[in-house]
Amino acid sequence: MTDMLIFAIFFAVLATMNLYRLTKGPNAADRMVAGDAMDNLICCAMILFSLYSGRGIYLDIAVLAALFGIIDTILVGRYLEKGRGL
Amino acid sequence: MILQIVCDVLFLISVVFALAGTLGIIKMPDTFSRMQASTCVSTLGVLGVIIGGILYAAIVMHSASTAIKIGVIGLMILVTNPIGSHVLARGAYKSGIRPEKPMETDDLGRDFDE
Amino acid sequence: MQKTKFSAVLATFVLCFAFWILLTWSFTLQELIAGAVVSLLVSLFAARFFIHVKAGWLVHPGRFFSCLLFWIFIFPVELIKANLNMAKICFGGCKAINPGIVKVPTAMKSDYGLAAVSNSITLTPGTITMETAEDEEGQNWLYVHWINVEETDPEKAGNAIKGTLEKGLRRVWE
Repeated sequence: MTDMLIFAIFFAVLATMNLYRLTKGPNAADRMVAGDAMDNLICCAMILFSLYSGRGIYLDIAVLAALFGIIDTILVGRYLEKGRGL
Repeated sequence: MILQIVCDVLFLISVVFALAGTLGIIKMPDTFSRMQASTCVSTLGVLGVIIGGILYAAIVMHSASTAIKIGVIGLMILVTNPIGSHVLARGAYKSGIRPEKPMETDDLGRDFDE
Repeated sequence: MQKTKFSAVLATFVLCFAFWILLTWSFTLQELIAGAVVSLLVSLFAARFFIHVKAGWLVHPGRFFSCLLFWIFIFPVELIKANLNMAKICFGGCKAINPGIVKVPTAMKSDYGLAAVSNSITLTPGTITMETAEDEEGQNWLYVHWINVEETDPEKAGNAIKGTLEKGLRRVWE
């Protein structure tokens, strides 16, 4: 049971390592790549923590994180391509 | 007990691939190579957690709704991730971002730059 | 703006309603009626942006089972091979890379086939589809960013990138 918590902490540490590229990255596309990876890792950490604590509300947070992650990636990509969003 | 070990092995595989992707994002030299490394995080790095979580929720916790919600999250990440990656790569190329070291071949620049 | 077809509305409605049931996971009558009303409204407005060609293309036993066969048996093998390759590059210090953009031909004609092939290519680590284009003879081309360019000839590069993927997907779409 505790191993879920340990793996969740691993994922949170990996998401924190991506923060280096998020702050330093030379241009907007680099920052967005790091943000997307952080989003997926936080989703994984939420799933593991929900299995550890046995409460379903963390899964709803993970669903919303996955949905909004894709929306802001597409928004930034279209903005870089055309100079305006969507 | 055996199921616990199987789940732990799946989570460990997932952590290893996520570590590989994160190291790639930090150390790769140019933007497009970083995007390739981030695909590693969002495929096997997520898939191990999804499969292990479904097994654990269905067999140990006996809760079907948790298992199905985890499956929906995994399907959503796997279906939507290539679209975002494709749009971001095309936007970065069209807005003039090029790697410092010239690429091996650049057919896109050859065909579309007048 | 094209007209809204009934089959497109029906397909979108089924998708929205299944998603509602998956998210709420309660089977009382009130919840089901509320979900049906909301997904009917959404599908009336959104069906014409969502489905352009035939809505019931996958409702056909041959197509459905070859689609299932592809996503369960053929694709994960390619995915795991590419992932191991990428992990080897990343743990080795990211030195052994040789990036480039190559142009490969594809045999797909329809929109759904092109989308399936390019998304499968993007989902395997090491290759990202950047642009699709069609030339004068109706041949479709994909521009693929490849982390380790081995071939620059279009036919050979196409075989190395998407040989097995396209062979599996040709049975579903064309």
